[in-house]
Amino acid sequence: MNTQPFLEDAEDLYQNAPFGYMSMREDGLIVNINGTLLDWLGYDRDEIVYQKSFQELLGMGGKIYFETHIMPLLKMQGEVSEINIELKTKESTKLPALINAMRILGRSGYQPVYRFSVLDITQRKLYELELKKAREKAEQTVQRLKQVNQELEQFAYTASHDLQAPLNTISGLMSLLEQNGHFPAGSEGAKYFFLIKSNAQRMKMMIKDLLEYSKIDGKETEFEEVSLNEVCGIALEMIENQVKENNATFIIPELPSIDGDKIQLVRLFQNLFGNAIKYRSEAEPVINVEFEDKGDQITVFVKDNGMGFEQKHAGQVFGFMKRLHTHDRIQGTGIGLSACKRILEIHGGTIGVKSEQGKGSDFYFTLPKNYEKAN
Amino acid sequence: MNNELIKRNNINISGKGVQPMVFAHGYGCDQNMWRYITPAFDRDYQIILFDHVGSGKSDQSAYDYEKYSSLKGYADDLIAICEGLNLQRVIYVGHSVSSMIGVLAAGKRPDLFENLVMIGPSPFYINDNGYFGGFTRQDIDELIETLESNYLGWSSFITPVIIGNSEKPEYSEELRNSFCNMNPEIAKHFARVTFLGDNREDLPKVSTPALIIQCHPDVIAPVQVGEYVHKQMPESRYELLDTSGHCPHLTAPEQVIHSIKMYLNN
Repeated sequence: MNTQPFLEDAEDLYQNAPFGYMSMREDGLIVNINGTLLDWLGYDRDEIVYQKSFQELLGMGGKIYFETHIMPLLKMQGEVSEINIELKTKESTKLPALINAMRILGRSGYQPVYRFSVLDITQRKLYELELKKAREKAEQTVQRLKQVNQELEQFAYTASHDLQAPLNTISGLMSLLEQNGHFPAGSEGAKYFFLIKSNAQRMKMMIKDLLEYSKIDGKETEFEEVSLNEVCGIALEMIENQVKENNATFIIPELPSIDGDKIQLVRLFQNLFGNAIKYRSEAEPVINVEFEDKGDQITVFVKDNGMGFEQKHAGQVFGFMKRLHTHDRIQGTGIGLSACKRILEIHGGTIGVKSEQGKGSDFYFTLPKNYEKAN
Repeated sequence: MNNELIKRNNINISGKGVQPMVFAHGYGCDQNMWRYITPAFDRDYQIILFDHVGSGKSDQSAYDYEKYSSLKGYADDLIAICEGLNLQRVIYVGHSVSSMIGVLAAGKRPDLFENLVMIGPSPFYINDNGYFGGFTRQDIDELIETLESNYLGWSSFITPVIIGNSEKPEYSEELRNSFCNMNPEIAKHFARVTFLGDNREDLPKVSTPALIIQCHPDVIAPVQVGEYVHKQMPESRYELLDTSGHCPHLTAPEQVIHSIKMYLNN
């Protein structure tokens, strides 16, 4: 095999390079052009060299751009790069081109010239147009979705808020009915009354959870440095009765501080802690909080000794209003964990769970330490 | 007040003389354009260089689309600069669109200006009922398209990210330093205001003596346009240089210096 250095023929390389080359004087007159560019433009050499200026190969818009941008730059910094301009061919079609140029100091007997390299970007231009269109479309869609989302949030908030008032009235009236002994124990009326009451309670719970959920996105999140220990403390205070009634034990180590919205993070822990007690097993609830520091983010684990569930349902539990148990067995709305998921999305984190039927659940979530940096 | 003004228009003052010469750059670039001209006047004049708001290293946040929707906004800035720096008997040198900005400022406040030097002026770029401006409306649309390709083409998928990326200040620095790099939206807006504005009626209102410097051929401001400006301005002198293009202060600075000096010395 011949491995001798391959010598390029400079003139052949200039004329037939897969690239356009051209040189022009300071006044724009073209003094040399290679075969490739002539071919692209459809001209003969003697129609161009010392006959045409570079400006004459441009449309009007290009001419203005040349005079206001390209020429000043060439004069001031001696080079330009990646200028996107259309050249006019002899047939008056347009050749989208990418141009680089630099000044070559005058050799004796010659004026200084500017050497141009010209790249045919016809295909790239089409691709760019597609990208531009796609981006514009995406921006419009995002805009529309944002608006729809806002309206939905407003709707969810208003609906759940406004439903509360008549429901409170109904509950009040039912209390009166109950106090006044309208339905004697064991009567059919008492049975119906009990069903109405429990359904009204369920509805109340649902509305409360919906309202809480709609509040997550409903207001501007305020990020500040938040101590997770403080957050856990507040969350426990809020479920104090539940903790006492079940004689639950919480083991919480020293946790770090992170950037986050305090109210939302309290809600996150409150939901997870509340669930750990609600879905308890026979044993008294013991909840272990642990965490791992992974540099830019932390992972927090909330492990319980509750009833657990089959791992195949792990994806389902975070779904909006999705539940593994009927309301009759364990009361709930299926909103709590989806609220947790949403809160973590807002914080740039993720949530997951490992569980085994009868052996408890291990909920874990990640949180970036510095939200700004992570996003 | 002055500090704000100096920051807003990136004003740079130099020179050993007393009488102020204010230099205003044209569309596309910034005050760096004057680098071959100012040294020749450094000894005898006070040199004031500035960038129009939106161009060069001016305060981009001061770009008010409404204020700068006509050249009057820029003319008001020029007057504010003269007042803010207490300039008197100003010799104003404006290139291209800045010639018209000078016309508007001198029309409004003739007391501030002693002379106008207009390089490649054009009061209206579009041909209209017997008036030859050199362009059609479509030509200007084509320019906007070219600007979009260069400012808003594929590079725009990258540049806003880079500019907004505080982690990579070296990129934004480099972009900011580029003489002809403008915020794409401002570049388009300024192009529209520059190339679609009609200031023909403002020319006869100027009583300040003016020098018109014309090149040939100049595709942006052709000879006919320079002659029109000369005819419309009673106190003007017309000088045709032996050079082509639209930026003689870059391509033939010695000729520009010579004609300004000859004019001022007479």
